[in-house]
Amino acid sequence: MKAYWQLTLTQLRIFARNRQVLFFTLLFPIILMLTLGSFLGNSGGTSITMAVVDHDGSPESEQLLSTFDKNEAIQLDQRTDVEEALDELKESDYQVVMEIPEGYGEQLQVHTDESQAFELPVYYNETDATASELGLTVVNAAIDQVSKNIEDYSPAVAVQAEGVRALDLGYIDFLVPGIVAMMIMNNNMNGVAGQISAWRERGILRRMQGTRLKASTFIAGQITARVILNALQALLVLIVASLLFNVQVNGSWLALLTFVILGTLAFMAIGFIIAGLAKNPESAGPIAGFASFPMLFLGGVFFPINNMPEYLQPIVHILPISHLSTALRETMNVGIPFFDLWQHWLTLAAWLVVAFFIASRTFKWE
Amino acid sequence: MTNTMIHVEGLVKKYGNMTAVNGVEFEVKAGEVFGLLGPNGAGKTTTIEMLVGLRKPDSGTATLSGYDIRRQIDQVKEVIGIQLQSTSLFELLTVQEIMHMYASFYPSHVSIPQLIDDMLLTEKKKDRIKGLSGGQKQRLAIALAIIHDPDIIFLDEPTTGLDPQARRTLWDIIETLKSKGKTIVLSTHYMDEAHVLCDRIGIMDQGELIALDTPSRLVKELHSDSAIEFTLPIGEDDTFLHHLQRVTQVTNRDEAYVIYTDDLQLTLIDLIQHSKENNLSLQDLQTRTATLEDVFIHMTGRSLRE
Repeated sequence: MKAYWQLTLTQLRIFARNRQVLFFTLLFPIILMLTLGSFLGNSGGTSITMAVVDHDGSPESEQLLSTFDKNEAIQLDQRTDVEEALDELKESDYQVVMEIPEGYGEQLQVHTDESQAFELPVYYNETDATASELGLTVVNAAIDQVSKNIEDYSPAVAVQAEGVRALDLGYIDFLVPGIVAMMIMNNNMNGVAGQISAWRERGILRRMQGTRLKASTFIAGQITARVILNALQALLVLIVASLLFNVQVNGSWLALLTFVILGTLAFMAIGFIIAGLAKNPESAGPIAGFASFPMLFLGGVFFPINNMPEYLQPIVHILPISHLSTALRETMNVGIPFFDLWQHWLTLAAWLVVAFFIASRTFKWE
Repeated sequence: MTNTMIHVEGLVKKYGNMTAVNGVEFEVKAGEVFGLLGPNGAGKTTTIEMLVGLRKPDSGTATLSGYDIRRQIDQVKEVIGIQLQSTSLFELLTVQEIMHMYASFYPSHVSIPQLIDDMLLTEKKKDRIKGLSGGQKQRLAIALAIIHDPDIIFLDEPTTGLDPQARRTLWDIIETLKSKGKTIVLSTHYMDEAHVLCDRIGIMDQGELIALDTPSRLVKELHSDSAIEFTLPIGEDDTFLHHLQRVTQVTNRDEAYVIYTDDLQLTLIDLIQHSKENNLSLQDLQTRTATLEDVFIHMTGRSLRE
């Protein structure tokens, strides 16, 4: 027990005294947040710009337009010329252009259960798949709402209109949990791999192997120190985020902390495996990079996982970073209770157990 | 009555085709300072690493204070203290902190302030390891080796790379440990060090223990008290050297010759007469008493520092 505390204390001292590492591991996430947050934060990640050309001019089309107008995710422009609007679409000024053809209002008035749905032409830019898809989704949701309202007139079909949670979320709210997840991955996976392989190369571990110290005690000390450090770092990033960008934490702080700890443990275990694989400290960096780089882009750190191509989805869904970033996001943004996120903590726990099992088999003092 | 602290039996370690240690056997008695002497790559470090449990022998075994290194490594680790060649420590910790950390690895330990004083590190106790000199780092390494008051201490080339004064300080520390009754195994490639510190010396070469005795008896076994060194021009016929009076051995490396004799005066007179008669130009002529280095050359035909 004495050895465990001493080793924890030692690691914390090393963190505290290695100013450069401390500075950059903290500074990097904060700078990233400040830059990405200030030039992307205001535009709002979920907001789309659309143009509507209303050829109908009926009360019904007015109503449709006001539905779009009320939706905060949509910035609405009314245009009169379709060709002009389409040109601007090609230049990516609009994500979506919609036409309301003549006869829209009439058609709705005579609408019965048997009649076909009225088709609204919606144009999008195929070269800008991400934005268009987002735009189409938002438009679809709004249209869906309208047609549900209309079908409510028909007594034969009872539609229960579900209340959509109204959250005022900007890109920064999306970004901050991702950055916390990225920080946890970098500090632990890359940090452990680099540090342990360097200590091994320099014979530091070898000397300790010559004492009564057990590997499990050593690893336990490492874990404790890193969990403490990561919790503090995550807290600091969250405080900066909430002071500068008013990022909200809607869920419980305890759940957030639990995910920070789970993530730390899972990535540390992977870091120990990499340290075991790496023949020297020089190769630990590239191996850790090989593991972390794809995760940075696929794991929902900067972009929503849904935006990933279909064929990548199965891979994305087993990555630990996806579950960590999603869980942090759902806890912070939406405030989903911890136990409803079972899928995420279970996956992280599975990574943790499997990785620690492999790490304990592959751990070498020298 | 002295009892055996270390008993080594047929230790073998192979790395691929290379046999690093080949059937090494020796015993060390309690309170003895035992030296392993040999050039780099002779197998000294590998032997020590097997004894302290850092490497598994391919065959053979050893008992330390009655504990078998293959089956009772935990008990072995409690009775031994080790200082490895070029020990590396957490550079950002202070002397005091690293001592407390190593102390925590054992069930009991000696007084740390006292140990810091004994190792002449009092002024440096609050300094980071990073800023210590080579000699101070080595003294710290020894302090960590003896922090749990072990009976047997392994020191692997403790003075390599140190300046003469730092070496002397370390010798004093080792003498003090010996006077406290510790059993010490020391590896070195310095003859003078082995001669001064060790009660008995095992000379290693290419993985084998080629001689084992007290320093003075090893030198005596040469049957040559003295050595004469000189240089002869290249291409000179040197067969006459073997026929000089009382010569026991002739060695040379290019034009530099060393001849050994059990009667310095007779051989020297003979050598000078012979060179005068044959008009030979002897240069850099000097005489000295034979050392452990000469023992090594005698046995292997090579110098220790090659």
